[in-house]
Order: sequence, then C-alpha cells, then structure tokens
Amino acid sequence: MLFRPNRRQIITGMASAGLLMSGQRAFGQAPKRIIVPEGEFTPLPIAIPNFAAGTPADTEVGAGVTQVITNNLKRSGLFAPIDQAAYIEKVINIDAAPNFQSWKSINAQALVTGRITRQGDGRLKAEFRLWDVNTGQQLTGQQYFTSPEYWRRIAHIISDQIYERLTGEKGYFDSRVVFVDESGSKERRVKRLALMDQDGANVKYLTRGADLVLTPRFSPSTQEITYMEFGQGDPRVYLFNIETGQREIVGNFPGMSFSPRFSPDGQRVIMSLQQGGNSNLFVMDLRSKSTTRLTDTPAIDTSPSYSPDGARICFESDRGGKPQIYVMGATGGGAQRISFGEGSYSTPVWSPRGDYIAFTKQGGGQFAIGIMKPDGSGERILTSGFHNEGPTFAPNGRVLMFFREPGGNSGPSLFTVDISGRNELRVPTPGFASDPAWSPLLS
Amino acid sequence: MKLKIDKTLAASVALHVLVLGYGLVSFSTKAYEMTPEESVAVDVISPDQLAKVMAGMKTGKKENPKPLVDKVAEAKPIDDAVGKVTEKAPVITETAPPPQPKAEEKPVEKKPDPPKVAEKPKEEPKPEKKPDPPKVDPIAEAIKKEEKKPPPKPVAQPAAKPPEQKQKIVERHFDQTQIAALLDKRDATRQAATGATLNSNAALGTSKGTAADNSATWGSMFKQQVERCWKKPYGGIESQKPEAAFAIRLKRDGTLEGMPVPEGTPATPYLRVYQESALRAIIECQPYKLPAAFFEEWKYFAPVFTEQKT
Repeated sequence: MLFRPNRRQIITGMASAGLLMSGQRAFGQAPKRIIVPEGEFTPLPIAIPNFAAGTPADTEVGAGVTQVITNNLKRSGLFAPIDQAAYIEKVINIDAAPNFQSWKSINAQALVTGRITRQGDGRLKAEFRLWDVNTGQQLTGQQYFTSPEYWRRIAHIISDQIYERLTGEKGYFDSRVVFVDESGSKERRVKRLALMDQDGANVKYLTRGADLVLTPRFSPSTQEITYMEFGQGDPRVYLFNIETGQREIVGNFPGMSFSPRFSPDGQRVIMSLQQGGNSNLFVMDLRSKSTTRLTDTPAIDTSPSYSPDGARICFESDRGGKPQIYVMGATGGGAQRISFGEGSYSTPVWSPRGDYIAFTKQGGGQFAIGIMKPDGSGERILTSGFHNEGPTFAPNGRVLMFFREPGGNSGPSLFTVDISGRNELRVPTPGFASDPAWSPLLS
Repeated sequence: MKLKIDKTLAASVALHVLVLGYGLVSFSTKAYEMTPEESVAVDVISPDQLAKVMAGMKTGKKENPKPLVDKVAEAKPIDDAVGKVTEKAPVITETAPPPQPKAEEKPVEKKPDPPKVAEKPKEEPKPEKKPDPPKVDPIAEAIKKEEKKPPPKPVAQPAAKPPEQKQKIVERHFDQTQIAALLDKRDATRQAATGATLNSNAALGTSKGTAADNSATWGSMFKQQVERCWKKPYGGIESQKPEAAFAIRLKRDGTLEGMPVPEGTPATPYLRVYQESALRAIIECQPYKLPAAFFEEWKYFAPVFTEQKT
C-alpha cells in the first residue's frame, strides 16, 4: 500500500514539527523542579580572624576590633562566630584572596579579613573584606579613618556592614543607649542618667544623682535627650544636650509634666500634663515654644509615642476603665483602642520600622513585654515575669531592650530580646539599670 | 582538710564520661545515606478530570482540551439506532458479495462523524421497506434492482449518492492506526457521546501522563543532603514567602558541573541574602550521593528553595 500524503497533511505535518522544535527550545529544556522546603533558621557560621596589624603597635587594637565585631555578631543571635582556636590559617593577608579551602574545612560560610594601620598623622586606618567562602566572592569591603580613641565605633560600623550584607536588614550596632543608673540601697537609691554603647561599653554619667530622673528619651539627632526629673516640687520635663551638658526645662506649665518623647523630626516634644486628677497629651514645638493640646478627656492619657512617619500617635489611656493602648492622628481627634487582651497595657512605643508597637502588659501578677501591630492584631508576648517594663526598639526595629526586676532586695537590669522572642540576653551595666532608651544609628 | 574521693563514684564518673564521649564521637552528625526507594508517580485528579481523560479519541487534536460531545445529554434515540444497526447485520450475510465496497467506506465515514452512520440506515430503510419489507439492506437491494429493472426510486438514489461520495474521497486519507478498523467488519457500536454542551471536535482527552519520573526518590535524597548545609537566613517574624530557584548540572560523581544558575534576580535585600544562602548550600554540600540509575534525570534539574508550603 502506498502512503501518499496530500498537501494539507504535509502542511500540518510541517507545522506540528516546527511547533515541536520550538517547544523543545522553549520548554523542553525546563529542568525538573525539586522543592527544598522550609529549612530551620540556623545562625550563619562566620570566621573572624584577628585584624592584621599594619604596624607592630596596632596588634592590640586589631585584636580589640575583632573582639567587638565577634561579640556584636554573636549577640545578635543570627551568627555563630567560629572559635579562633579552630582556625587552620592564623595569619591572614588582606591583600590576597584567602585560601577558601582551609575555611571551608572548618565549615565557615563567611569570612571577615581586616587590617588596622596607624597613619602618619596619628589616625587609624581600618580596612575589612567580607568573603563568601563557598563561592569565593567578596561580598563587601570598606576602609575607614578615625582617631584612635574611636576604634570601638569603627568596629561597630564594620559589624553593621557585615550584618546588613548577610541578613538583608540594616544593622543596629553603631548606636547608644541612655538609661537610668541605679546605685545604693533600696531605700536610698541614687538614680543617675547614664549613656553607653549598645553593647554596654563606654558608660558615661550625665547627671550627678542629686535629683530623681526618669524616662530618658533620645532625639533623632542623637545629641539631645529629653527626660523627666523630680527637682524641688513637681516633676518636670527637661531637654539635655549630651555634647555640651546643657539642660533646659521644656515649657513652663503649672503642675506635673511627664513621659516626654521626641517627634521623628526632632522638632517637637510630646508629653503629658497633669490637670487636676487627669492628665492629657500636649505637643510643644521646640522652636516656637507653642503648645498644642491633643486630648481632652476626664482620664489619664500618657506615654505618647509617634509613628516613624510622624502621622500618628500611640498612647496609654484609662478612659475605658483599665489602662489600654490607643492610636490617634498626630493632631489629635478620635482615638481608636487597639489593645483588647486580658490585663492592662502601658508604655507603648512605636517601632522605627513602623510595623509594631511594643508595650508592657500587666495582669495575673506578672509584667510582660510584648508587641502588636498598629491595628492591634498579632499580639505576641516576648517575655513575662515578676517585673519587666519599658521596652525600647533598636534602630532597625528587630530587637527590643527593656528592664527587669527580679524582686527582693536586688535591683533592675537591662535585657535585649529579638522581636520573635528569641535570644534574650542581659546587657552588661556597671550597677542596676532601668528605663533604657535606644538611640538611632549614629552614622 | 583532705578531700576524700569515693572510688565507686570516681569509677562511675569515669565510665559516664567514657560512654558519653563515645556517644559524642560516634553519633556525630554524619550524613545519613538514604537508600533509594521505589516510587510510583501518583497524580490526584478529580472525578470530573477523570471523565475528561476517559472521553478521549485517538485521532483527536492534541490541543483540544474538551471532550467530544455529539449530543446534549437529553438525547434519547440512541437505543433506536443500535436496534436498526443490529437488525441490518443478518441481511449482510444473506447477500455476501455486495456489501464489500460498503464496508470499506463505512469506517472512513464513521470516524470523522459517527452519527451519520446511525442516521443513514434510518433514512434509507424507509423507502426500501415498501417494495420488499424482509430485505433491509439498502445497497444490496439497490444493486439487485439495478440488475433486474431500473425503477424510478433507485435512479434517484444513485444520483443523490455520488456527490456525497466525491466529497468523502477528497477527505479520505490513509491512517495506519485505522487498518484495524478497515478490517473490522463489525458494525459500529459507539453511541453518541453526550455532555452538557455540543462539541463536534474529537479530542484526545486531557493528557496528564508524564514520562517515567523517579524524582520522588532522588529528589528527596538531594533535599536531605542539601538541607544539611543550608543556613537559612533569619527572615523575621513576618512570613515573607521567599523562593530561590537554580538550574544545576551534576556530573556522574555528584559534583557540580558548573556554578548553579540562579533563576531571576532577587527583588529585595532579604531575597538576595536568601538566594545567596541557598547557593552556598548547594556548593557546600557537593558531591551529592544520588542513585546512578537515574543519572539521566538528575544530571540537570532545578532545586527550588522556599518557605512556601505546597
């Protein structure tokens, strides 16, 4: 039998062959997809050998910088610095590509190499490179110049660079914390305003302790803080310049003024003023000194905090009976209650990222630190105990600092916790410490 | 004061240390090697999909996803048609030689448009019944009558038929798959397919089958190995649903033939970090121990790192 295709068959045949061929190019190459699902989060193993010394005198600083970086990354909970004793290579040349094989063999996935060199003019030059051990690529590299006494800041800045490159988030290491340092017996407690790096180093006292100080807060400029002080008579809100040591009263009101906080642009201070048995929220423009009333209720409205865009305010009010958290526009008006859980809520503070509001929650004989979204959803308790209070966000909004009192004759101390509730760590302070406030990034 | 040490306590401590130490060494994180498992590819389909798959015809167009539907579901004359076709059969055996040409035509007609087969006998027997009721076969009758005497009716019939036959000749084509049908002298038993909507295009049915696929076996082995090296970056408490896909080529020994090729460029810093962490894992975990029998399948594939639950 003879097969004689007609014209139409030939055309369709050719067309389908063409289709097949083009399909081969477009889809035939598509490889089989294998889904690798949801691994557990694991801290990244990172090797940070001591920064090389450009001159023999720099060995100590080099080791110090390395130590600060290692400590920062480790405390973040997102990195697992490898013990230097395990290193196969001890001497690292920053100018050449590292021998990745020897770092692979100790399971390092990232490697930091660096060098500290004292310049002719007395300044320090700090260089570093961050390497991906498996691909052998340099992920980032920078050099900085600074005067020798600021070597810790350089270490913090480098830590931030590494953190940002490896997590995709801004860092928070180059920042400071202002807090209330407490010393003396429980009956005669001396409370001084103190300032330190976020890792607890470089503690500096800002007041002498003659008067009681409370609730210090950073300005976005990081050079100024505002706080509440009990002098002779009523407590007042003060403004304090860290650089010059100058201080001034914010406004001159009859009665108490308390719980101050800066607006995100640093131009205004929002606070509570006492009026009879109630207190209301006021905002004062720091330049014009003009004051605007934001709430007018027969209740106690206090602890206001701006959203990072400055458009809204969250605050605490007992207008509904128990203290709860409310949100309203920055110019006042109707407030919306956002906290509905058991117990009472206080000291709300808006995250610099804008995604959460942290608070202290009291109930069942416990004080807890928690976060919720600005609409009141997603409440999450991070820690709970005898007394936890006063949360403050790290500049990147990923970590909270708060103070905890264990009860008894002991005093309060500072802790940090990831907003997921992981990685709770004590922050070293010289004595007892309370009321921390985290600064924005310094640079 | 002298510290006295209990000997049994010391021995107990020493033994515990020994046992625990041995445990630390011997139970260290050695990669498990999974033995390949037999796998059967299973596709879950709905009864509706199954019906569509079943409603296919070999000669249908591949692109047509709809099943062939000749009639809307209420159609009833199916029983009649069958009855008439089977009635016809004994007549063919009576007059053996004439049906031969008809048998050849029938299958060709039958395939493109089967209902016609059923309809035709309906129309034709009616005129034939008048002159000769017992004999039902129209063509055999027509031929016989042509031989004997030309009555007016048979003349009209051939005149009507030739144009139809010519049309069919144009469309006729040779199809090897239909040889069986050509040889098959049985009458068509296929009934009109019913459905919700009419669709005159014959379809292949919905094709869901895949080639031999053992990816469940080697894929899970790959997953298990690469997960050991994956240091997933911390994505915060908000679910970000990241995904990083690569195309990778492996050699027979399980090592990478070249750098994995990432699919697309990450949109956010976190996605970039996520992609990089996956890339590190792929590189760090080679060589992969995968069953050599399926090398053709795993020499080139696309691992997708994701947090999305399927």
